[in-house]
Amino acid sequence: MEPLLAARLQMALTLGFHIIFACFGVGLPVLLLVAEGRYLRTRDEGWRTIARRWSKSFGVLFAVGAVSGTVLSFELGLLWPDFMGTFGSVIGLPFTMEAFAFFLEAIFVGIYIYTWDRLPPRAHWLSGFPIAVAGIASAAFVVTANAWMNCPQGFLQVAGKVVYAEPLRAMLNPASGPQVTHMVFAAGLVAGFGVASVYAAGVLRGKDSPHRRRALALGLAMGAICAPLQVLSGDWAARVVARTQPVKFAAMEGQFRTEARAPLRIGGLPDSEAETTRFALEIPGGLSWLACGDPGAVVNGLDRVPRADRPPVAIVHLAFQAMVGAGVALLALSGWVGGTLVFRKRLPRGRAFLWCVALAGPLAAVALEAGWVVTEVGRQPWIVQGIMRTRDAVTDAPGVGWVFLVALAIYSALTGATIIALRHLARK
Amino acid sequence: MEPEFLLIGVMTAGVTLYALMGGADFGAGVWEFNTALRAGEKERALIYRAIGPVWEANHVWLIFVLVALFSGFPPAFAALCRALWVPLLFALVGIVFRGVGFAFRSYAADSVRAKTLWGTVFALASTAAPFFLGASVGAIASGRLKVSSDGGYFGDHLTGWINPVSIFCAFFGVGICAYLAAAYMTREARNEGDAALTEVWRRRALVTGLWMGLLSAAGLAIIASSAPELWEGFKTRAWPAVVTSFVAGSFSIVALWRRRFTGAALGAAVTVGAVVIGWGLAQYPALIPPEITVHGARAPREVLWTFLGVIAAGSLVLVPSLVLLLVLFKGKRPEDA
Ligand code: HDD
Ligand code: HEM
Ligand code: HEM
Repeated sequence: MEPLLAARLQMALTLGFHIIFACFGVGLPVLLLVAEGRYLRTRDEGWRTIARRWSKSFGVLFAVGAVSGTVLSFELGLLWPDFMGTFGSVIGLPFTMEAFAFFLEAIFVGIYIYTWDRLPPRAHWLSGFPIAVAGIASAAFVVTANAWMNCPQGFLQVAGKVVYAEPLRAMLNPASGPQVTHMVFAAGLVAGFGVASVYAAGVLRGKDSPHRRRALALGLAMGAICAPLQVLSGDWAARVVARTQPVKFAAMEGQFRTEARAPLRIGGLPDSEAETTRFALEIPGGLSWLACGDPGAVVNGLDRVPRADRPPVAIVHLAFQAMVGAGVALLALSGWVGGTLVFRKRLPRGRAFLWCVALAGPLAAVALEAGWVVTEVGRQPWIVQGIMRTRDAVTDAPGVGWVFLVALAIYSALTGATIIALRHLARK
Repeated sequence: MEPEFLLIGVMTAGVTLYALMGGADFGAGVWEFNTALRAGEKERALIYRAIGPVWEANHVWLIFVLVALFSGFPPAFAALCRALWVPLLFALVGIVFRGVGFAFRSYAADSVRAKTLWGTVFALASTAAPFFLGASVGAIASGRLKVSSDGGYFGDHLTGWINPVSIFCAFFGVGICAYLAAAYMTREARNEGDAALTEVWRRRALVTGLWMGLLSAAGLAIIASSAPELWEGFKTRAWPAVVTSFVAGSFSIVALWRRRFTGAALGAAVTVGAVVIGWGLAQYPALIPPEITVHGARAPREVLWTFLGVIAAGSLVLVPSLVLLLVLFKGKRPEDA
């Protein structure tokens, strides 16, 4: 295997794995706080049982998240030494902040999980707050580093060496706002619908109980609240991408030619050789309107850059379609829940609804992975947009292909073991 | 004061704390490995209870040091990642399996088979991680990594890290962890009020302590013969650390003997801390000797000041939280597991 390809696959594998656990690290503490808070308010032991059970699953998820994150920190240097050797000083700030968030998170996770019977109930509940705050903060910090790779700014290079940098300005680049917002809501979706899915699947298999219904409703509530916010923040993200990364935007939309009244393509298969996107449902002027707010506006196509500077269009376009499709589906589910709540004062019932909820968790995870594929693959061939090419950053160490294969085996085993461990906890 | 000097000081403190806290967690696993066939369930339970609430926090020191390194001294990070490609990958495998082995074993394993499986994974990985981290440290300290000041590496990627000092440090790393764990666990067992276990751990701590003393002397001899620059540093600058380590080590052995277990634990910590700080002093101002120095590899100064500001602000939150954690779990034992 070619080292560059192996390194990219390795990065995709380990990041794609970590991000799932990260989402639970961000979302689950919020659910824990709500459940335990309801217990404090109502003194209903059922809520406490939910929180206490979840805290053990959280312990497992957190541990896997922590070790997979550690792998990533090393990997940035092991796989992309020139990237970190050149720009470490520019993007180090969010990582430094993140380290403190990790400290806080890890400390209070230890306290929270191990003091259920030692601390007074209210103090125990309060010890969960730093976990939730630090979880959201760590996600926000690290995503600004990624946003910087998309919109690099805040440094001065002379002969390849960074001679001056403003890490704060680098952190607060134009892509940070939408990416951070979009990521945090994504975590809410994945964790909320993920939890709801597990219980919906249980109820579908005949394991119904008020306890399960209650847990389901709690997860569902978080997912349903995040879904509309996620679509709004996605729209914001798309506008910013259109302005700051026109090539990625064109790839997302399968827009090969620069044109006025560009159509919005739904579905379709981009063909990079023929430079056209086939089989798409086209809404005339839709893209121009979405990107610029004017259906007659000119949208830049991929033809603005030489072929060597274009990302793999088909992957980016399809991943984008998958994310948006999933987003719309989750929005519909959220509307169903909200509508029934408002008009009937209860949650929807029936197997069809349970099936939808059971599928919503995996669907949110698919959207999450697809979104990251859009961001990362859409930036190619650049590791730092317009400044450093991925090809020039990759390590020259031998055996990257083998490392990838071993990592694949290890991560598959870890996935299996994590699922077994969680199922075991759920059965208790 | 130069910011790079402050930052390297903070990083040295981070490495020291990682060795003292994360090292002891590894060491607990090393002991589980050693006693796998004999240890009783009660002995194991004590190990798991002692590190359960704290290992995740202790682990973050490693991340902190790593992040500070690539933020503050980017070419040094690039050079290390190239030169230590093999041992760092192995250390990562160890770190991953230590973490998940521990978590699965403590939260999600009821059957004897699952417990044995994850306990074994935990034990093996807890030994592998300090072994390869130790080898990495030794490879740096040896001054034999063929790195260039811009972060390049022109040695052999597979074998360039292997030399007498790195091999020695690999074993020394595992030994340090085992010694710290035994010294701390003696105190934990005493606090639990378990006299038999206290005796077991006391004997282990004594034996490991004496062995580590001998090993340290051998280490100095290896350094003197195969890492002359580092030896020079020890002679001219770092000798007070060596003396401190010797005195504290002797103190901890005597304290163990006389059953002063808190004193013994503190003594062990100072012994090991002095070794780490001594290493730093001996090679300063080289970061990766001989080519890469603290001054040559530093990020622009204004950037370093920003990092230092963030670290100072972060510490305002971190220090009280750490104190709370230690008070809750290292003062008296929790009943809840
Ligand atoms: C649960 C997950 C989820 C859902 C339902 C959506 N997204 Fe998303 N999207 C992500 C999860 C995600 C993400 C967390 O995976 C990404 C990757 C990078 C980022 O910041 O968020 C992302 C990236 C991302 C980007 C690229 C940002 C960049 O490269 O800078 C755009 C333009 C959108 N999204 C737009 C949308 C739209 C218009 C959606 C809805 C209709 C949508 N997303 C639903
Ligand atoms: C903040 C977080 C992230 C950072 C700093 C980051 C950084 C990187 C880096 C350095 C590379 C290699 C160079 C490149 O291909 O451009 C990469 C590639 C990649 N990352 Fe990310 N990443 C982040 C989040 C994610 C997440 C969560 C995913 C989830 C799936 C992801 C998916 C990928 C993929 C698919 C590639 C390969 C792209 C390709 O080479 O075609 N990234 N990322
Ligand atoms: C978009 C991307 C990412 C998000 C949202 C994210 C979020 C998180 C969260 C919430 C945790 C807490 C652990 C958990 O709950 O499982 C975590 C752990 C961690 N992450 Fe990520 N992360 C992302 C990408 C990365 C990248 C690119 C790196 C490294 C370069 C990284 C390094 C780490 C490390 C080292 C930990 C372990 C901290 C500990 O020991 O507690 N993460 N991440």
